[in-house]
Amino acid sequence: MPDTRLPETPPGLPATPYAALDALPPTATGAEVWRALGGAGLLTRAYRGGNPRTGPDPEGLADLLSAADARFSLAATLSVSVQLATALPLLANGQQDCARHALDRALAGRATVALAATDATAGTDLTALRTHLTLDDDGLTLTGEKNWIANTTTAAHFLVLARHRPGRHFTHFTWVLVPAGTPGVTVRPADSALFADSGTGHLAFDGVRLGRDHVLGRAGFGLPLFARHIATERLAGAQWGVALCRRVLVDTHRHLTRRAHGDGTLWDLDAVRQRFASCLVRVRELRALVADLSDAVALHHDATAAATLKAAAGATVHHVLDTCGQLWGAVGFTTGGIQELRAQAALFGIGGGATEVVLGTLAYDAETVLAELARPGTLP
Amino acid sequence: MDPRFTALLRPFLKHSGPEEAALTPDTDLRRLGVDSMQAIELLFAIEDTFGISLPDEELNDTTFATAGSLWRVIVDQLADEVPA
Repeated sequence: MPDTRLPETPPGLPATPYAALDALPPTATGAEVWRALGGAGLLTRAYRGGNPRTGPDPEGLADLLSAADARFSLAATLSVSVQLATALPLLANGQQDCARHALDRALAGRATVALAATDATAGTDLTALRTHLTLDDDGLTLTGEKNWIANTTTAAHFLVLARHRPGRHFTHFTWVLVPAGTPGVTVRPADSALFADSGTGHLAFDGVRLGRDHVLGRAGFGLPLFARHIATERLAGAQWGVALCRRVLVDTHRHLTRRAHGDGTLWDLDAVRQRFASCLVRVRELRALVADLSDAVALHHDATAAATLKAAAGATVHHVLDTCGQLWGAVGFTTGGIQELRAQAALFGIGGGATEVVLGTLAYDAETVLAELARPGTLP
Repeated sequence: MDPRFTALLRPFLKHSGPEEAALTPDTDLRRLGVDSMQAIELLFAIEDTFGISLPDEELNDTTFATAGSLWRVIVDQLADEVPA
């Protein structure tokens, strides 16, 4: 899809609020996009009152993700999404000077922050993570590994989820704020051309020593904080999914209406139009779900609503990218084309909670969901 | 146990059958459906409802084992936070 990011606004119209992004090339990395957004004072739009401590502003968050998606690679937008939705709000829980300083720098676009939750163990088995910290009178010691973490190769700080006790209980985990460059920290880029623009990499902590002021939030509150903020990331994923599907469909529609077939174009074929229309249905369903559940997530940290959005986004993005990939035919295999994007977009069913994990969350609350679906006063 | 506490706890006990109609201090939270995700929500609900923060040293599996063990920590914290 070489022409995916053609500007839709005719030349001569007033500059958009995202002029800072328009100044970047489409090949900009996530860190470059983050710097531009922060430098233009736009990152605070993702939060109510412009403050990450007060929770997400769904409209502002969706605007930022849509603006990034319209201009840059999926990997670059991933870098922005993770920081906006999860890393910065989590960092805002820190009361110590080091956390406040890191947050200020990140909001100004002067630094990126990596959220390091996934361990060397399976991401779907979070409570099995092995990275551990030991607290003593003088500080803390951190040892372990984190793999496949976005923003790793560019971050000034890592937010590291570690255990301070053995066992799987949800109270056994704590967040640690680790400055990049601290002795004992090793950064290695991931072997992935698909996600190079997101700074994805692997981290190792070998007896890293830090002061106790680098414990972020309360000891034992690691998973509760993560649960709250990953809900926002799931909302962000659904919002971004709508934007991604829309732009892919715009580009695919343009391709189909220009590609000659018989006496007309591919768009004249009923089979093509119907497959395309099925994608329109799916993306409108996802957008309706986002509208329905945004406040539940943004205002009430509703984990079931967040899981619903994540599951729907994974399924919708898969359907739309898969269908459009077929409709593009051989041209879709062009470097940077839809087949490459489709491979990257598989992330929607894997990152931030695999589809199977979020469906499990939804199933747990099945009775509540069914009760909410009932129309009051109509049941026998 | 305080009626506010039992009312707060009840929706989290998804596996509660007719034999568990009455909550007792021995009610096993995990057996009745309070998994990790639910326990996190329960923790936030307790802190919001009672206006307390459970002490870090009480954030462990023993506290969240039964209705009674959880209620004991809440009571202790409520007592600590009563103004002099």
